[in-house]
Amino acid sequence: MIKYIISITLLTLAACMVQQFLPAIGGLHGARVLILPLVFLCAAVSVNFASMLMLAFICGFLWDAQNALGPSGGDIEIYTNPVENLRFGYSIILYAMMGLLMQGIQPLFKRGKWHISSLLAGIAIFFYLFAEFLLINFVRGDFVFPRAAFYRIYLTSALTMLFSPFIFWLIFQLASACHHTIRYTGLKKEHRYID
Amino acid sequence: MKPLNLITLLLFIAGAAWALTRSDGTVRSIQNSYFAIISPFLKGGSGIEKKAFAFIDEVEHSKAWETKYNLAKEELDEKRVEVAHLRKLELENAQLRQALKFQQLTPFKVLATKIIRRQPSTWWHTVTIDRGEQQGIGVQLPVLSPEGLVGKVDAPSANTSTVILLTDESCQVSAKVDGTPEVGILSGQRGLTGDNPSLKLRFLSKDATIEPGMLVFTTGRGGLFPPDILLGEIKSFEPGPLHGEALVKPAVDFATLHTVFVKIPDSPESQASKANP
Repeated sequence: MIKYIISITLLTLAACMVQQFLPAIGGLHGARVLILPLVFLCAAVSVNFASMLMLAFICGFLWDAQNALGPSGGDIEIYTNPVENLRFGYSIILYAMMGLLMQGIQPLFKRGKWHISSLLAGIAIFFYLFAEFLLINFVRGDFVFPRAAFYRIYLTSALTMLFSPFIFWLIFQLASACHHTIRYTGLKKEHRYID
Repeated sequence: MKPLNLITLLLFIAGAAWALTRSDGTVRSIQNSYFAIISPFLKGGSGIEKKAFAFIDEVEHSKAWETKYNLAKEELDEKRVEVAHLRKLELENAQLRQALKFQQLTPFKVLATKIIRRQPSTWWHTVTIDRGEQQGIGVQLPVLSPEGLVGKVDAPSANTSTVILLTDESCQVSAKVDGTPEVGILSGQRGLTGDNPSLKLRFLSKDATIEPGMLVFTTGRGGLFPPDILLGEIKSFEPGPLHGEALVKPAVDFATLHTVFVKIPDSPESQASKANP
């Protein structure tokens, strides 16, 4: 189990590096493949709750280290309405929420129905981007939701979802290399004091 | 809940609270460390991309030479390929000349940099350039191109820097409309896509006489950008109940941008000599 968790963590770090080279596709409203969130989501469904939280922290931390913007700067007498940005660390919470969503269907995944997890990975990314955009609206104090933003969210999640079978395949390969069996334990009969 | 899960949950909450309460300075140093680690990969990746394109080019040309050798009739096509390649070189040469000319003619001290990565994040309009703190780049420095203002440096690391583009909502610029007394704040618009989305010039007079085609320049106020840098041209103007707003077409074509110039602050000696010529 430990070897598997370590290899999943390394896979996450590798995904963070790969993410640097995945460009936004101009013709698809700037949509892109979000490989880091995808690896996290696919891993989240295959590990226990504690490991999922650890991965959420690592991924959220790295994501914000890469994307967080600094303060606007400039003379406040001229720039009287500085544009607020999302605080460093917000992604950790969003990743944990996505991970919880994936943990909800862990029993199905462990029965071998990975395609449902694959579909849910796309849905989770949709909600993640949507929540992120709503948070931006919230911190900037007004509500703007252009159609282009919806297309970007929708196309990004759809595009990312297409890669989930490959990530699941990678995860199964890692599991077998680490002699770790992704087993279903939810229906295991437990000893009870009172039957 | 299992004790291990409970402990992990508490640790997670503590970690998230720690991250969320970091000061801007701490976040900067975290980002600095992060980019210091990944910058060799970024530069390497950019180099590999360049080599890949060069290889594809070479393969295309080899094929053309083979065709020429085997089929003399297609010599004309081959010449066309050569001409196209020469035109490409000519264009590249012209771009480099333009960059060099800009660097020589500009009244500022600028540092030429190359864009190595475009729009790495989902919602922010940013690019990564191949120069950082070691080459004298600091936070909030203006980034220019021969066409006009590109944006400002947001997060410099040792050898690379993140530049926030003019098309981003959080890149605000104090701007004036040429030929009028109108002054406002120019910024990008949230959630817009495309390589060159329109900019919004806010806080203009509601009864301003602004016509499409008028040029917009920086005012130099606010301590971020030098004055009289071209920002774009007016597309439309809409008077509101309190203020007027104008849509501005950016002067810079962000899609074709490859080389940009970071304005380096003058040394104290040169500032003193400018003050007392």
